[in-house]
Amino acid sequence: MATVQEKLITPIAGGASEGPWNKVTVVGVGQVGMACAISILLRELPDELALVDVVEDRLKGEMMDLQHGSLFLKTPKIVADKDYTVTAGSRIVIVTARVRQQEGESRLNLVQRNVNIFKHIIPQIVTHSPNCILVVVSNPVDIMTYVTWKLSGLPKHRVIGSGCNLDSARFRYLMAEKLSVHPTSFHGWILGEHGDSSVPVWSGANVAGVNLQTLNPDIGTDQDKEGWKETHKMVVDSAYEVIKLKGYTNWAIGMSVADLTETLTKNLSRIHPVSTMVKGMYGINEDVYLSLPCVLNNSGVSSVINMTLNAEEVAKLKKSADTLWGIQKDLKDL
Amino acid sequence: MATVKDKLIQEINPGKPVVAGAKVTIVGVGQVGMACVISVLQSNVADDVTLIDVMKDKLKGEVMDLQHGSLFLKSTITAAEDYSETANSKLCIITAGVRQKEGESRLNLVQRNVEVFKHIIPNLAKYSPDAVLLVVSNPVDILTYVAWKLSGFPSHRVIGSGTSLDSARFRFLIGEKLKINSTSVHGYIIGEHGDSSVPVWSGTNVAGVTLQSLNPNLDTENDPEEWKNIHKQVVESAYEVIRLKGYTSWAIGLSVSTLAQSILKNLQIVHPVSCLVKDLHGIKEDVFLSLPCVLGSSGVCGVLKQPLKESETTRLKKSSETLWAVQKELKL
Repeated sequence: MATVQEKLITPIAGGASEGPWNKVTVVGVGQVGMACAISILLRELPDELALVDVVEDRLKGEMMDLQHGSLFLKTPKIVADKDYTVTAGSRIVIVTARVRQQEGESRLNLVQRNVNIFKHIIPQIVTHSPNCILVVVSNPVDIMTYVTWKLSGLPKHRVIGSGCNLDSARFRYLMAEKLSVHPTSFHGWILGEHGDSSVPVWSGANVAGVNLQTLNPDIGTDQDKEGWKETHKMVVDSAYEVIKLKGYTNWAIGMSVADLTETLTKNLSRIHPVSTMVKGMYGINEDVYLSLPCVLNNSGVSSVINMTLNAEEVAKLKKSADTLWGIQKDLKDL
Repeated sequence: MATVKDKLIQEINPGKPVVAGAKVTIVGVGQVGMACVISVLQSNVADDVTLIDVMKDKLKGEVMDLQHGSLFLKSTITAAEDYSETANSKLCIITAGVRQKEGESRLNLVQRNVEVFKHIIPNLAKYSPDAVLLVVSNPVDILTYVAWKLSGFPSHRVIGSGTSLDSARFRFLIGEKLKINSTSVHGYIIGEHGDSSVPVWSGTNVAGVTLQSLNPNLDTENDPEEWKNIHKQVVESAYEVIRLKGYTSWAIGLSVSTLAQSILKNLQIVHPVSCLVKDLHGIKEDVFLSLPCVLGSSGVCGVLKQPLKESETTRLKKSSETLWAVQKELKL
C-alpha cells in the first residue's frame, strides 16, 4: 500500500541530492564550540553542519536541540557523531577541542596534553576532508595552530588560527565606545601573539582615514596624557574579566569565528587579523604562527598585508616568535 | 588641551536619539535566556537589548561577552542594574525561573516559579506599561496566566511561547519523514505545552494537500506508517534533550526570536502561542492555551478559528480544567 510520501510526491530528479557544497564541521561541543555553531547557523552559511566530540550524550543532545530549530534556519542537514566519518566533505573545520588547564600546570605541560588529543583529531579530519580549511580556536591558539599544521600535512595557507581576530574586535569596540562611533567605523589592528603579548598597531588606528596618531603623537605610549594605552590593556584583560564573572567566554569568540567563516565560505577576500605562518617575515626564522592582516578567500590565506610596523612593534613580534618556538621545539610526537 | 575625540569629530547633534527605538528586555540570563538573546541579536530586529537577572556577576559577564562582539552586531546591549533600566521596552521576554529537573513534569515547577514572577512582572509592567509580555518559563501556560494577573495588562498583550516550539519540532519531524524542508510542511500543535498538547492532524498539509486526505488513519492506532508517533516524539523531545545535555536552549531561543520578529515588526504572522482562550472552543475558565494567533506590535491581533474535531476540543477542555485546578490554588 502506498505511503503518504508516495501519494503526495512524484519524484523527478531521483536519487540522492548532490553536495554538500558548504559543509562546516565544529570539533568540540563545549560552550565555545556551540557558540561558533549557533553563530554560523544564524548567518545561514553552511548547507550542512557536523558536530564531533568524545562526550556522546552531550553531543547527541546538542545536535537534537539544533535540529529542533530547523524551521528557523537555512541549514537542512545537521549531524553529529564521535566517529569522524560524519565530517566527510567539509570545506571548513573549526577546532575548539582542548583539555582544561590544571592548577599550577606549566604552559608546556598543558600544550603537550593538547598535542596528544590533537594527534587523535587532526589526522582524522584531514582523512575525511582533504580539501578543507582548518580554523583553530583552542588555546594557546598560536601554538595549537602550529601543531595543527604539523599534524595535518596541509599547506600552510589552509591552516588558520583565530588568533587576534577577537582581540581586534574587542579593541575596535572599546576604542569606538570612547569615540562615540560604531565599532565598524573604527579601524585598528591588534597583531602578533594572542594574549598578553599582543601588539596594538597604533600607527594604523583611524576613523574615516583620519589617523589618530597624527592627532596625538603620544597615543599608545606611557607619555600619553589621555591614557589610550589603557584600552589595549583592557583588551588583554577582557577574557579574564569575563571568565571571572561568568566562568568562561563564548559569545564574542563564536561571533568572530562566524565572521571568519563567512569570509572563507563566500570567497570574500576580506582582511582579518588571524594567525598564519610568519617564517620569513619581519626577520622571523622559526616555524611559528602569529596574527597578521590576512586576505582570506575560499582557499584560505591568499595573501598577507605588509603592515608598516615600527622597530618596537617588530621587536615584540620577534620576542613572541622566540617564546613560542621555545615551547614548540620541546613538543613530542609532532 | 583638545582630546583626540575633539580633534577628530566636529559635533553636530550629540546625545540620545529623540525617537525611541525597538527595545527588548530579556529577564533571565540562563541557557534559555542567552539562547534567546543571541538569536534576537543576530536577527537585527531590536535596536536595544537589555538583560536583567538577580545573579549580578553572571549578568555582567554575559553582557560584557556580547558587547565584545559588537563589531558583528547592530544593536546595543545593556545590563540593567534594576528594573528602571528596562523602561520603555516594546517587548519583554521572561525566561527566569527554576529549571525543570530530569523527569520532573512542568506542573511541579509551578509554585516555585510563581514566587519568582511576583518580583519580576509588576516591575516590568511598571516601567514598560505598553509592552507585550512574552513568557517562556515553564509551566508556560500557567505562568502566562500568572503574568497576566500580576501585570494588570489586557490579555492580548500577554502571551506565552506555548506550543510554538512543539509545532516547530512537529514540522521538523514530519519534514524528515517526507524529505521536505520543515518550512514547506504546515501543521499546528495546539493546547497545553507539554504532555497534553494536541496535534491538529486535520490541518497538517504540504502545498495545501492535507496528509490526512492521503491517509485517513493517520491519527489512529491503525496506521501502519505510525504517523501518530511523531506527536509522541515531540512530547518526549524536551525530556530527551534534557537527559542528554542537561537542558534545552537553541531551539527555544530560535522560536522565541521568530515571535519577537513578528511583534517588533508588526508582521501579522500566524504563530501557535499561548493566549487567553476563555470563550473559545467552549472553554469557560480563565486559562491560557496555545492556538494559532496573528501576532503584531500590540500582541495578539486575532485568533484563527480552526475547525477542530470533537476529540480535539475535548482535549483542550480537559487541559483547561487541569490548568484551572492548579491555578485556583495559587497564591497570587
